Amino acid sequence: MTTDIALKGIPISTEEMANMLFAATQEVFTSMLGSELRQLPEPPAEQSGSFDGVLSLVGLAGSLIGNGSLACTAEAACEMSSRLLMTEFKNVDDEVLDALGEIANMVVGGFKNLLEPTVGRLQISIPSVIYGKNIATRDAKAGVALGVCCGFAGGEFAVKVRLAPARE
Amino acid sequence: MRTEPPNLLIVDDSTAIRKILLRVLSQTGLQLGRVLEAGDGQEALKQMEGNDISLILSDINMPNMDGLELLRALRGSPDWRDVPVVMITTEGGQARVEEAVQLGATSYVRKPFNADLLRDKLASLLTK
Repeated sequence: MTTDIALKGIPISTEEMANMLFAATQEVFTSMLGSELRQLPEPPAEQSGSFDGVLSLVGLAGSLIGNGSLACTAEAACEMSSRLLMTEFKNVDDEVLDALGEIANMVVGGFKNLLEPTVGRLQISIPSVIYGKNIATRDAKAGVALGVCCGFAGGEFAVKVRLAPARE
Repeated sequence: MRTEPPNLLIVDDSTAIRKILLRVLSQTGLQLGRVLEAGDGQEALKQMEGNDISLILSDINMPNMDGLELLRALRGSPDWRDVPVVMITTEGGQARVEEAVQLGATSYVRKPFNADLLRDKLASLLTK
């Protein structure tokens, strides 16, 4: 599959990167949350436009620049945190936000590790987490954006990566 | 020969990971002394002062002072150059692993990790 990014001299398709993103997410959920993951065909309904919930962002820099994110409802965030920390969370608090930042960090870090042999060394930032209502994201026109929608026993969420070649 | 239970230091900017590592350590079945926590390398160096730390578990990507800078500082210190340091990080690239090993990391564990394997590794390091 040839994509915009492949045409710019980066030898990888969005389909391959989407597979890497799902593989990295699956590893986090299996190893750290003890939960199987399934890929969903469509984004969770509440995330097709703006949504209420949690958005965790991790920056990427190096031969490519951009970021990776994980978006979910408050309920799914509490479920993920409960599984990660083996403590029940009913509401989004600092611990839940920290846990969601760490989950995004591991997902984007794992994706980065899978991508590096093809595109060269990349670095990731520390995570930022946003919690609120009517969260809307917009992708830059340059580069590519790819996402994977996932389901686990505690809910659904979306992971997304936006990448563009670094300027010379 | 050491007779007192070992003191440990966990260095990670994520409280979630610190909590998980505390749980893994409690599952080793070993008698441990104090387990101190730090959110970055600078805090870790402060915690090292006056505490007899036997093992450090450290992340790499942290604000203020990252795990590799911490490692460099520890290995440059006459008091702390021999303290074992296990890097626990999402950074799985070969270059980063080699950099950490060259700086004197005792062991390298990539996140996400299998808690059982990490528990066994830590138990092995603590009983050496």
